Amino acid sequence: MAANAQGVAEAPFVWHPATAAEAWQLKQTLGTEGVYTAGGTLLRTQWEAGLAAMPNHLINVGEIEELHGIHIDCESGTGTLGAMITLSDLRTSPLVHASFPLLTEAARSIAAPSIRNLATIGGNVLSLVGDSLPALLIYDPVLHWHDGSNGLQESLSEWLSTAAVHAAWRERLLIAIELTQPALDSNTKRFVAYHKVGRRDAFTPSVVTAALSVQLDSDNRLSDVRLALGGGQTIPHRLELVEQFLTGKIANKKTITEVYALVVEHYEPKGDAFVPVSYRKKAAANLIASELWKAVR
Amino acid sequence: MKDSMKPLSRLETSSIPCTLNGQEISLNVPPAKRLLHILRDDLEMTGTKRSCDIGRCGACMVMVDGVPVNSCLTMAYQCSGKSITTIEGVSAGGMDPIQRAFLEEGGFQCGYCTPGMIISVKALLDHNPDPTPPEIEEALSGNICRCTGYGGIKRAVQKAIEWRREAYESESVHD
Amino acid sequence: MLLNRKGSGARWRVRPDGPDKVTGKLAYLTDMTAPDMLIGRVLRSPHPHARITAIRTEQAAAMDGVHAVITHKDVPGLNRFGIANPDQPVLCEDRVRYVGDAVAAVAADSIEIAEQALRLIEVDYELLEVVEDAEYALEDDAPKLHPQGNLLHRNGFKRGDVDAGFDSCAHVVEETYYTPRQMHTYMETEGGLFIPGDDGRLTVYSPTQHGFMDRMQLARILAIPQSDIRIVSSPIGGSFGGKDELNVQPYGALLARATKRPVKLHNSRWESVRVGLKRHPMKISMKTGIDENGKLIAHQAKIIADTGPYATLGAEVLNFAVEHVIGPYRYENLDVEGFSVYTNNGLSGEFRGFGGNQAIFALEGQFDRLAEKLGIDPWELRLRNMRKSDDPGPFDHPIALTEGAKQVSAAMTASALWQERGNPGRTEEEQAEPWIRTGIGAAFTMHGAGLGFGIPDPAGGRLTLAADGKIEAVFGYEEFGQGLIASLEQMLIEQFGFASQDIRIIIGDTDVVPDSGSTTASRATSMMWKSLQNLRPLFEEAVLGKAAEILKLSASRLRFGEGGVYAIDADTDSSEAECLITYPALAAGCVEPITSTTQFHFPTSATEKVGAHFLYTYSAVAVKVEVNQLTGRIRLLHQYHTVAAGPVINPQGFLGQIEGGSSMALGFALTEDAVMSGGQYLTKNLDTYLVPTIAEHRGTMDVHPIEELPEEDTYGPRGIGEVGSVTLAPAIAAAIYDAVGVRVTKLPIDPELLLAQSIDQLLDKAVSGE
Repeated sequence: MAANAQGVAEAPFVWHPATAAEAWQLKQTLGTEGVYTAGGTLLRTQWEAGLAAMPNHLINVGEIEELHGIHIDCESGTGTLGAMITLSDLRTSPLVHASFPLLTEAARSIAAPSIRNLATIGGNVLSLVGDSLPALLIYDPVLHWHDGSNGLQESLSEWLSTAAVHAAWRERLLIAIELTQPALDSNTKRFVAYHKVGRRDAFTPSVVTAALSVQLDSDNRLSDVRLALGGGQTIPHRLELVEQFLTGKIANKKTITEVYALVVEHYEPKGDAFVPVSYRKKAAANLIASELWKAVR
Repeated sequence: MKDSMKPLSRLETSSIPCTLNGQEISLNVPPAKRLLHILRDDLEMTGTKRSCDIGRCGACMVMVDGVPVNSCLTMAYQCSGKSITTIEGVSAGGMDPIQRAFLEEGGFQCGYCTPGMIISVKALLDHNPDPTPPEIEEALSGNICRCTGYGGIKRAVQKAIEWRREAYESESVHD
Repeated sequence: MLLNRKGSGARWRVRPDGPDKVTGKLAYLTDMTAPDMLIGRVLRSPHPHARITAIRTEQAAAMDGVHAVITHKDVPGLNRFGIANPDQPVLCEDRVRYVGDAVAAVAADSIEIAEQALRLIEVDYELLEVVEDAEYALEDDAPKLHPQGNLLHRNGFKRGDVDAGFDSCAHVVEETYYTPRQMHTYMETEGGLFIPGDDGRLTVYSPTQHGFMDRMQLARILAIPQSDIRIVSSPIGGSFGGKDELNVQPYGALLARATKRPVKLHNSRWESVRVGLKRHPMKISMKTGIDENGKLIAHQAKIIADTGPYATLGAEVLNFAVEHVIGPYRYENLDVEGFSVYTNNGLSGEFRGFGGNQAIFALEGQFDRLAEKLGIDPWELRLRNMRKSDDPGPFDHPIALTEGAKQVSAAMTASALWQERGNPGRTEEEQAEPWIRTGIGAAFTMHGAGLGFGIPDPAGGRLTLAADGKIEAVFGYEEFGQGLIASLEQMLIEQFGFASQDIRIIIGDTDVVPDSGSTTASRATSMMWKSLQNLRPLFEEAVLGKAAEILKLSASRLRFGEGGVYAIDADTDSSEAECLITYPALAAGCVEPITSTTQFHFPTSATEKVGAHFLYTYSAVAVKVEVNQLTGRIRLLHQYHTVAAGPVINPQGFLGQIEGGSSMALGFALTEDAVMSGGQYLTKNLDTYLVPTIAEHRGTMDVHPIEELPEEDTYGPRGIGEVGSVTLAPAIAAAIYDAVGVRVTKLPIDPELLLAQSIDQLLDKAVSGE
């Protein structure tokens, strides 16, 4: 019988609800004694590091049918990802790659394949700082929750903006994430990019994660601009101010130079003991500026 | 309460059915116990190594249903109905060409990362017999080796790809 | 010729320990269990600096399943350890000096019970000021961590008058260099199994680099004769210097003695990070001046090494750094000094490179800067000042004569990589992405081997024709992955003519092996080679003499071969060759096993300077790097290492040592630092302490050994265990300067320094297609 680093016996009860309603009911009953668990990779790391105590009850949501599955309608450009979809599923799904290519790229950059075989998109989202988030934010994401009644839908952006301070969502069960591909106007092309910069070339915590999607006409005039940034303990978010600035502008040296300055000025990442804020701002601005340059090259 | 909602608990000592290296077994362990400790402490199969306990080194890698997972992150209940392959299982029928390639090319030194590394290589080549260097890099990025600088490992993987291809081709000829 | 499998032919051999490693069959010492085994756990201080006012263990001791709770009161002998200077408490009495300090230990039926027992031990602490800065520690008003103060060791070397020298220099460069607290990160954390015997003896199964040193230290702690302790210490899942000092052994030994039952300890990675040794963080300030011709006139260096709370080998590491901030150059005036300073940070100690890594990074940086001031090629400046083969060593002491410096310099400058410099073909990435810049840089080193003058450095071994006819090679060295067993087997095969199945290698067991000295300081292969040189005539005389007696032939007509003894003119390659008598038959004809033994001392210099080396390995490294100015991140595209270390004993092992050493150096340069704040580690595990992955090794690497030694050389192969890890960082720094014009003074390199100064600059380049 083994213990974790804190010597807590690994003997929580493990519940295996078959439906979201059962899971939610269990969570209501168990309160803080019970924790939803999917892949369990992040929870385990927190338990071992002593950042969280191992709970008395685990509510395994892995057997709930409705949390599984990737449903993508290529024609309408919409899709839903079940919260239990593993990051490996995301990495290897041709459907995902065809409709939401930034997610494929994001999945490639998260942890290592062995962890991605356990870890889920739901867990990555609910961590608040997962590297899938900047990519998801490009696709008008909507979270589908089970909340004990008729279900609740909420935009990912909205949820992220308050999730760190409002804890009510912790009672709810994330079912799926709904995505919509940006539509493409006639005579335009779309340019997308995803970057994760870490402290190492692979299997690294993120320092700066950037995702970008822009539409360009033949004059390189920009429209439908979507930029998302995150990394480290910074909760990922869209850069609306910069998006508005770019919309309708022609991507040229002047515009790109101004965008760089805007990102440095307005992006407010969290620093840590390893990488200061100043680097995160500059690297984020560099990535966005260079991708805009690539878009019009 | 429905049957499906019965907790697997230490007190009820549920048994968790799974296949280990081709043999059907049941694990009579607490459901959140980690596969790493089940293997090493309960089953005394120490080829799977313990090093970081949080999935950051790959020394404890095993295959579950043919894909690599860190056994230090895998809880017993997550193995229910699954097929687990450890390093002991890889060489059960004689040394795998991957293992021979590691020997031949010197793809190890202290050897402590080697079982996990070989599991990851096997999982890769079983799915993708002819991976590109970036694919190899991605597949092995969760396995830390502190001794070799990965030179011998990269050469061993190339050699294993070659040998597996040769074996496949010679089999095809005989068919 | 570049070293690789193909070019090595039959000399590229499968390691004898390989099959069990690739199949997972090999039982490491931390894989072992014993019937009735208890689990041991150690209570560590939560505080980096505090006074202990009370320790209460009653509750823990009363727990069901707890078999022993020990504190300092239960240490029967010396409550201290430390290879060179035993000042580290086994179990602290009244004060803790770092977060790894041990206060109590328990043995219990299970991990859970042991951990619960630790929680029940109450320790009252009075917090003391944390000394976290080595320079502050040297000030008068800093708290004294030890009775003698905070200076563990001071060492220096002077010649001439540097002040006058600097006055006459045409160019002077002053710079301060900083290096990180690097962690060994051996994959197998510390641990072992401790079994008390019915006869009162204790058997210790626990990795170490010098079994006899552990035995001596444990005997001192337990207050029992050394002969009552047996240390079994191989195989080892990596060490790199980190397991030379005692780690869990005192607790395992004390708990096993207290409970009279086997006790197992195996540190978690968390505990390993907190307790284990690290590389000394150093601040090295240098001032170096040259005349208008580039001749070195004066060189001044001051080293501040953060040695942490206790001595271990801090003094010896400092001595090594002082020697290597002088290095392979000649100076008119010299004034170097170093201070190894106690702090409440992590414990620093022995680590591959042994102070050379830090020193060489700083010294080579000076040459690059001076060459730029003078307006000449950086290698040309090195050549103008490089030692000649008959020059004395860094401390003006006699050293073994080789052409190593000249050889590696010539090889490096002739390499395709170095030749590419100045006329770089732009890589595809550079063309596609204007923020990618490449550069080429190089660095040079002479790295000492052995422990140096003034430190006991015994060597030796034994060959035996055992009763079953096996040729036993018995050495007190350890296998921690470097391939020592493979190298020994290869020497026995190539030098004596034995077949691998004739040989039985015995290492790592103090009951059986002679004290061959420590497996450290790049010395073991050299010492095994020398031992076999000494043993060969003795063993031939004894064994062939016996064969001659049995065969009624002249011994001078006989030789060793595969499986047995042959006539001296029998062609080994021919199947006709007739084995005159097999080794088993020969052994059967002996009343007692035939044994030959050698004991000697590692060669030392005729000097009075403690730590001065006599044998050196020379190396030059060139590297091509790619700098991404958007992210400041660096990729190594190609490395070239040339190493002059005499004959290559084991090609696979040699290549592996240089490749592996270089990988560690890459981590030292780019990603690794055990960050501390207020005496606490912020990097607690491998999620934040980042060692290189396979993705950091996308680039290619050439290793070019130079094997020629002077004809009169009797010392044979030089050490190569460390040299691969000491020269890469300064070469990377030089290549970065070549790429983007930024001088690096601190490792790991801060990517922020390498970011493009402005986006305009990048876009201009992009637009102009430059």
